[in-house]
Amino acid sequence: MLLSRNSVHARLTGLVALLLLSVILALYVSVRLVTESAIRQGASDRLAVGLRVFEQLLDTRAAQLRDGVVVLAADFGFREAVASGDLPTMHSVMLNQATRIGAQIALLMDDQERILASNVPGMPAGAYFPHTAALAIDSTLGRGAGVVVLGHEPYLLVEAEIRAPLPIARVVMGFHMGQDMAADLRSLVNLEVSFAAIGRTGESHVESTLAPDEVRVLLPAWQAGDLPDGMEELELDGRSYLTDELVLASEPDYRMIAFVHSSLDEALASFHELDSRMLLIALTALLVSLLGAQLLARSISKPVRQLARVAERVGQGDYRTPVELHRNDELGSLAGALNHMQAAIAERERRLAHNALHDPLTGLPNRALAIERLENAIRTERPLALLHLGADGFKAVYDACGASCVETAIQTFVHRVKSALPAGASLARPVVDEFLVQVDALGADASVGLADRLLQALGEPLVIEGHEFRIETRCGIALYPIDGVTADDVLRRAAIAMRDAAAQPGRLQLYQQGRDHAYDRQITLVRDLRHAGERGELLLHFQPKLDIRSGQVQQAEALLRWQHPAFGMVSPGEFIPLAERTGSIQHLTAWVIEAVLRQLAQWGERGVSVQVSLNISAEDLMSIDLPDRVRDLLGRYRVPAEQLVFEITESAVMQDQGRALAVLNGLRALGIHLSVDDFGTGYSSLAQLKRMPVQELKIDQSFIRELDEASDDAVIVRSTIDMSHALGLKIVAEGIEHGHSLDLLERWGCDVAQGYLISRPLPAAAFEHWLAERQRLPVSVE
Amino acid sequence: MSRTFIRRLVALGVCLLAAPVEAGPFSATLVDAQGAPLAHAVLSLHAETPAGTPAPAVLDQIDKQFVPYVLSVRRGTAVSFPNRDDIRHQVYSFSEPKRFELRLYQGTPSEPVVFDQPGVVVLGCNIHDWMLGYVYVTDDPWHAVSDAQGRVRFDDLPPGRYRVTLWHPQSPAGQPQPAGELAMTDAALKRRFTLDLASPPATPPAAPASSPFADAFQSKSRAAQP
Repeated sequence: MLLSRNSVHARLTGLVALLLLSVILALYVSVRLVTESAIRQGASDRLAVGLRVFEQLLDTRAAQLRDGVVVLAADFGFREAVASGDLPTMHSVMLNQATRIGAQIALLMDDQERILASNVPGMPAGAYFPHTAALAIDSTLGRGAGVVVLGHEPYLLVEAEIRAPLPIARVVMGFHMGQDMAADLRSLVNLEVSFAAIGRTGESHVESTLAPDEVRVLLPAWQAGDLPDGMEELELDGRSYLTDELVLASEPDYRMIAFVHSSLDEALASFHELDSRMLLIALTALLVSLLGAQLLARSISKPVRQLARVAERVGQGDYRTPVELHRNDELGSLAGALNHMQAAIAERERRLAHNALHDPLTGLPNRALAIERLENAIRTERPLALLHLGADGFKAVYDACGASCVETAIQTFVHRVKSALPAGASLARPVVDEFLVQVDALGADASVGLADRLLQALGEPLVIEGHEFRIETRCGIALYPIDGVTADDVLRRAAIAMRDAAAQPGRLQLYQQGRDHAYDRQITLVRDLRHAGERGELLLHFQPKLDIRSGQVQQAEALLRWQHPAFGMVSPGEFIPLAERTGSIQHLTAWVIEAVLRQLAQWGERGVSVQVSLNISAEDLMSIDLPDRVRDLLGRYRVPAEQLVFEITESAVMQDQGRALAVLNGLRALGIHLSVDDFGTGYSSLAQLKRMPVQELKIDQSFIRELDEASDDAVIVRSTIDMSHALGLKIVAEGIEHGHSLDLLERWGCDVAQGYLISRPLPAAAFEHWLAERQRLPVSVE
Repeated sequence: MSRTFIRRLVALGVCLLAAPVEAGPFSATLVDAQGAPLAHAVLSLHAETPAGTPAPAVLDQIDKQFVPYVLSVRRGTAVSFPNRDDIRHQVYSFSEPKRFELRLYQGTPSEPVVFDQPGVVVLGCNIHDWMLGYVYVTDDPWHAVSDAQGRVRFDDLPPGRYRVTLWHPQSPAGQPQPAGELAMTDAALKRRFTLDLASPPATPPAAPASSPFADAFQSKSRAAQP
């Protein structure tokens, strides 16, 4: 696995490496500083010691050489030769001895320092020896030894007295201070050695054990007189030396100086070894610690990655696999927490999924799950029956004792349904007061039987908190594959059957073939009704009302007709309830009022004076601005309010009596007559009737249509007529189709008659014509 | 102490040998330029009177030193060099008047050395570098070496005229210095001579202080002797 630069793994490793490197660096620097200082100190000490040893060595060397010369001087034969003035012998003995002790220069002089014999160029016999002072007692190397420069080259001179036995002469021998002596001394003091003869006039001669390149660097500075003073560090051709000096001779015309050089590079060379060792140690330590860091980091990052993988898995919805991490540290507890979280999420998700597919109150599957189950069953092509239950009456429960009662009622209801269901049936609650029962392999007969048992069980009243409620239940049944081959069809048709069942005495309906087309028609009507007025598809028919006592017709009822472009003439019995259900009835009423007023205005212009009644729905009575709108229209069409009669049903006032009465009073105040329509079908009491500002009652046609003297209807009609008159109300009977009915009503004192016996509803022009004809002809009912 | 004593005895003996019976006493004091008495100086008197055959002389080597430090002799004197030390000496001279070398020896060599030329003979020992002695050879019949007080005395110096010569190891150029004439009568004569030296008078060199090693060596070699 590739590691990113920001991973814990990489960071930990980097941190360890950084720490270690800084420790090593600090160690290295301090060791280096200490070592270097120690090396310098050591070199300086070595140089100081070396210089002393060098000085001692030089002394010893001089003493040894002098001893050699002294031996010569003490030689009896030599002395004899000197004493006797035998020059050739003197010369040869002297040179012989010089060779023997390795001297390059030999010289003999008398006690007056006049040279007797010499092998030194420029110092012939007879001349005086010029360097006596160098050999004096206070010379650097003590009495009888000294350093002089002869012909620009340094020589160590030693002398000895020749006694016979009194001093009669001195013999001087010189040793070249050259490479050989320097190398000799170097091997003894283990330091580089240089001899420099620096002339006052600039000419210099250097003999050194240093490399020629280094001397070349050194020489110009020395020639310029820039000599080291005390211990100094010199940089020679890239190499460092600590240098100290010893002045061997300081004559007026030259100086003779010996230098010792301690090589710092050599001393530091041992440190280079230390360097490489430290580098090795550092690398090893780095490697080992990186390895350790890797292991440590892996022990952390591996479980972290494992946890990350688990978290990812949880994110993808896998809650089953637990984290397998058995550790006692923080990661272990994190793994535990993750497991716990996983379980918690799984539980919560399960609950969410359940809630998404179930009704929270009853725990029953909701619509989505019901559809899914249905689809599953259909996918396997198993025959089934779908029962759609609709329950009415929960609102009454709510009104009586509130929401908690409704919940209890629904739960009890569901419990009853469940107990009546066979095993294998599945119950769902798609809507508040509707239920679906899906039963596999159930035919038409069996399903009707089951529905019947259900309805019987649910017919028992519910007792909630002491109240008794009756829940009206209806059931529609659709069968797969008979009534539909898709879940949608089956569902829809079961719903249609349920709606149809409402009209059935047993409140049970198997889906009827084609019913869904009727349903489609309703949908289309509802959709088109909204625009029917604008499209001019609506029109008014007028049915005359006969004043029974005078035989005159001065009133009519305006009835709405809808000429649908596809379905043709649609009856009000079909579209008015649709309009009421879908909330477009007010729209229709407004249209009717305006159309009636317009017609009245036209008729008024032609001298036709008719009082026209029209129907107002319960919804209209809820709109408080109705009186204002009507007044505006009356004003606009200049129609007297007395020409208008608004017919209202008893039940329309029941919903919100205060509001309805306010609207009615408003209308009455305009001068509009009010009539109670379909009287006798509702439950209106006389007290209610008395409160309403109405002027007439309209007995429902169901009482009139088959009216004869002996029937129960006759009693109701007669007593209603009497009561109305007692209350000062006019009474209108509608639906009159037979002459004897009209006779009876006339006898009983009914005021107005309406029905096919008088005339069917007529278009406006036909009605006007009919009216004109009737006024022209004598009164004839038949 | 004993060395000083012996030296005096020897000086006395020399004087006795040299003094004629009939002569009167002559004494002189020799001082250096600073007036300090000068020891080891030779005073010689030249006279026309002929001298007899010189008597032999002795120059000892005692304690690794020549005794006396300065010996004056007449020309022709035979000087023997007895070795009183228990070690050998090799006495030599490179001086012009008398060159000789007595090979390593013990006791008294058989042949004395005859100094037949006047002059200063410097003596050395080839194996003891510090040993230094002088033999002053003169033709003068009368000669003596001053003592520690710078005194010389001739008891029986006959009257007459004498030419005086002075010498000292530190004489200028090492040469004898004429010091005028002397008229001797019967009466005793006392004179004082001043000698300018080239360098301060050197005392006779002593043997170097013996080292424990040398002592041990010496006592051992002594014990080995019969």
